[in-house]
Amino acid sequence: MHELSLLQALVRELEAVARRYGARRVVAFRLEVGELANAVPELLERAYEALQARHPLLRGGRMTLSWVPVVLNCRECGWEGRWENRRVRCVRCGSDRVGVVAGEDLRLRDVELEIPEEGFP
Amino acid sequence: MVARELREEWQRQGTLVVNLLSSPGAGKTALLERTVEALKGRYRLLVLEGDLETERDAERIRSRGVEAVQITTGGTCHLEAHMVAQVWQRVAGDYDIVFIENVGNLVCPASYDLGEHLRVVMLSVPEGDDKPAKYPKAFRTAHWMVISKVDLLPHFDFAPERAEAEARNLQPDLRVFRVSARTGEGLSAWVEALEQAREDLRTGVLK
Repeated sequence: MHELSLLQALVRELEAVARRYGARRVVAFRLEVGELANAVPELLERAYEALQARHPLLRGGRMTLSWVPVVLNCRECGWEGRWENRRVRCVRCGSDRVGVVAGEDLRLRDVELEIPEEGFP
Repeated sequence: MVARELREEWQRQGTLVVNLLSSPGAGKTALLERTVEALKGRYRLLVLEGDLETERDAERIRSRGVEAVQITTGGTCHLEAHMVAQVWQRVAGDYDIVFIENVGNLVCPASYDLGEHLRVVMLSVPEGDDKPAKYPKAFRTAHWMVISKVDLLPHFDFAPERAEAEARNLQPDLRVFRVSARTGEGLSAWVEALEQAREDLRTGVLK
């Protein structure tokens, strides 16, 4: 439902990265989609297509999505691993003093840029 | 980035900001009406009302003698930090507590940090106690949960313990309040917690 506005924020991020390196085009990037990020991969792809048409910076650029499952870390016993039954609880000792260390966010990774020779600072 | 700047500014000023999330009709405005009624006079309050259209909710708050600004999103299903920042620039004043009533929706608003110090998710009795598992992000990212319309418990098959357990499966640290804006049940605990949170923000306990 809100994938377009999530991606708009991402495009602003990509623009900032491109500007920092004097790039003229984003060739490729990867987007990690957390299990709890509230984003549907198919809708992200459709939103990306729509945005590509509007942003010359993204023309021909490739977005790869990778799915990131929820990973917990137990502050009690140190266990780390996938959650079970969608519960934020340590699978080993049962403690609920656990942090979610992966799977909550959308993360931009591995941005590949096309930088004209004179562009690199 | 905008959210972080807002949060820092509010923190410096000692302004507690509360972001209220729920489905449409869970009673966000009704709870806020009772809440501002209890806090006004002692605290400088501001309510930001997020809706797709109309000034109605802001008018309800103003009728209680409390300042309210309507943010109409024009169709967007959630508030974003830059919308709040825009309004904040206009009103920026000395407030002790700012309430942001998000657009009624348990999906999208959960993905947007508005710079708030406290995220409160509301679940009303008629909606059913199985909501937390269906909308995990909203409950996972909340600090507090309010079970509202508890005066209706005798008429619905809603087990507050089950709703709490489901929500705590996702957010073990969740603090839960049970309130009825109609009868006033549970309101004093909720209001006291807000006052404590404001104090904790000023003393640096809450960040």
